[in-house]
Amino acid sequence: MMLRHFIRYVAATTFFLSVSGCGDRESTAGLVERELSSSEREFKLAESSTERFRYQTRHAAGGDSSVPGSGGGGGPKLVFTTPEGWTDKGASMMRDINFSFGEKGEGECYVARLPGAGGGLLANVNRWCSQMGAEALTEEQVAALPVKPLFGQPARFVTVDGTYSPGMGTTDTFANYRLMGLILASDAGAVFVKMTGPKELVTKNEAAFDQFTQSIDVNTN
Amino acid sequence: MAKTPIDWSPANWPRLLYRFLTSFKLATVILILMTVVTLLGTLGQVEHGLHSAKEKYFHSFFFTDKIFGIPVFLPGGLLLMLVLFTNMTLGALVKVRKRWKGAGLLISHFGMLMLLAGGFITWAFSTDGYMALYPGMTTNRVESYREWQLEVIPLSKEGVAEKAWIYPSELLDQIQSDEQRIIKTEALPFDVVINGYSRNATPIPVTAPMAASVTGREIDGYKLSPQKTSKEAEQNLPGCFVEFRPKDGTTPVEAILWAGSYRFDPKEKPMPFTFTVGDQLYGALLIKKSWTVPFELRLDEFVFERHPGVSMARNYESRVTRIEASEPDKALEIKMNEPMRHAGYTFFQESFGPSGSQPGDEMFSQFAVANNPADQWPLWALIINGIGLGIHFVIMLVNFTTRSRNKQAHAAIS
Repeated sequence: MMLRHFIRYVAATTFFLSVSGCGDRESTAGLVERELSSSEREFKLAESSTERFRYQTRHAAGGDSSVPGSGGGGGPKLVFTTPEGWTDKGASMMRDINFSFGEKGEGECYVARLPGAGGGLLANVNRWCSQMGAEALTEEQVAALPVKPLFGQPARFVTVDGTYSPGMGTTDTFANYRLMGLILASDAGAVFVKMTGPKELVTKNEAAFDQFTQSIDVNTN
Repeated sequence: MAKTPIDWSPANWPRLLYRFLTSFKLATVILILMTVVTLLGTLGQVEHGLHSAKEKYFHSFFFTDKIFGIPVFLPGGLLLMLVLFTNMTLGALVKVRKRWKGAGLLISHFGMLMLLAGGFITWAFSTDGYMALYPGMTTNRVESYREWQLEVIPLSKEGVAEKAWIYPSELLDQIQSDEQRIIKTEALPFDVVINGYSRNATPIPVTAPMAASVTGREIDGYKLSPQKTSKEAEQNLPGCFVEFRPKDGTTPVEAILWAGSYRFDPKEKPMPFTFTVGDQLYGALLIKKSWTVPFELRLDEFVFERHPGVSMARNYESRVTRIEASEPDKALEIKMNEPMRHAGYTFFQESFGPSGSQPGDEMFSQFAVANNPADQWPLWALIINGIGLGIHFVIMLVNFTTRSRNKQAHAAIS
């Protein structure tokens, strides 16, 4: 097979050299006709690009590994700078990026993405408030929250103090904690950056949080 | 004694070349370089992944790398093995003095040459792909793990097609991201223009937060975001922009094609981009390169056992029926270390799906399908090598005992 590749590579290179100098490369013998076997004849006529690109069903964080012979495709991968003193713990099931910090790793920060609006800004801010045992905010209060840049866009910056109940199958609570986070929500996708830990530790790491959130970008290299 | 000066005249070049190619020093240098390349290739797998490392270090004539931060330019495994093959053929088989004493070494060198030749045949002619089947499914089609091709398909209104026009993976893979490829064909009433081909990409809606970072064209509310290619080549999902330019001068149709529109499960149907030219509906999509094997395989039963209390697989095997026109159907089992070998193809039990399936879910079985004409050559080469070394050992032993006896006889006489 590789010899065939090599021969084809040489043939293709020769062909391209012969047409080099043209802005567009024209191929007159590229398409090959083939009969489809019985197992290949049926196609699904997708109603929209969203269906064709599986945007709503793709796992936003890490791709769908159910593709036979492939890892599948997910949301765009991210690049970022790890702040000093933070430990990159890699991606997990629902999270693109996980960090821990602090002497015992008691502080944590993660990035999660959802393909849809993810419930919207108000619901997510209040979900975080509820995790901290704080009162829910009104729509006006959420609209008045400060903004910080995320992917070059203004994301709502949330700071809540209280007793942290992470949920997710655990009943543990952590008193005197601070939650600091950014939410960037639209109908087509939402990004969450959430940092939690003892109040003093989180306050000390606010500059690192800003440095990290401003460094996050789509990996296109 | 004075050393005879080397005759560098052009007339003597063939002789010098022959001397160089048959020299023992050359073999030594090649073997040292092969050790270095093997070491770099093994370490390189961590950074590049298995497929890329194989391509870079072992399937290449030359490559560049860094050793302790210093850039080095080294011959690739392919070149080294070709030179070693030539060196051993000329030096150990042709040039060497043929005597009974050297028969064992001659045979073992032949075994080593067979090993190298087997490697070349594997590199040049082997194919590998996979076949995924749910119980009850039958197919003879094998799909590539890594190669994608563009297909344009005339479709019925129900989404059924009889034939397709392919832009082969070998040509598609040559397209650079900044290149525009115009494909003209008499068979279709439009030309196909490919732009911005990326070996790994993902489409994202322009309204999504990440879209702000993605430059490039927007089509139907989506942008194509090129991604860093994965270490494991089979993880990459290519994408491109295409334009279909009707030959009658009507308005061209533009689309983003993405490999993720192909099927994610053997039961799924691929989802082409559809457009109409004249009265005919067409579909276009990036699809995995595929080929057929000379028999069909039906999965009768997929036996899947999990460890108690967890979803981790403990054992899985497939009960299949091989269907051939010339022979009666044959029921077989394909297990983890018991592949099915037939007609030059080997079917290994590779994996299963869909991912995240729970007990009670219907599951598909995936076979790795390899066709390697030199599949058994390494085994035969090592047997020949062993026989050669065995003969050499016996000859040396006989020589030694004969010499010892002679020495003892001489000592007794004197």
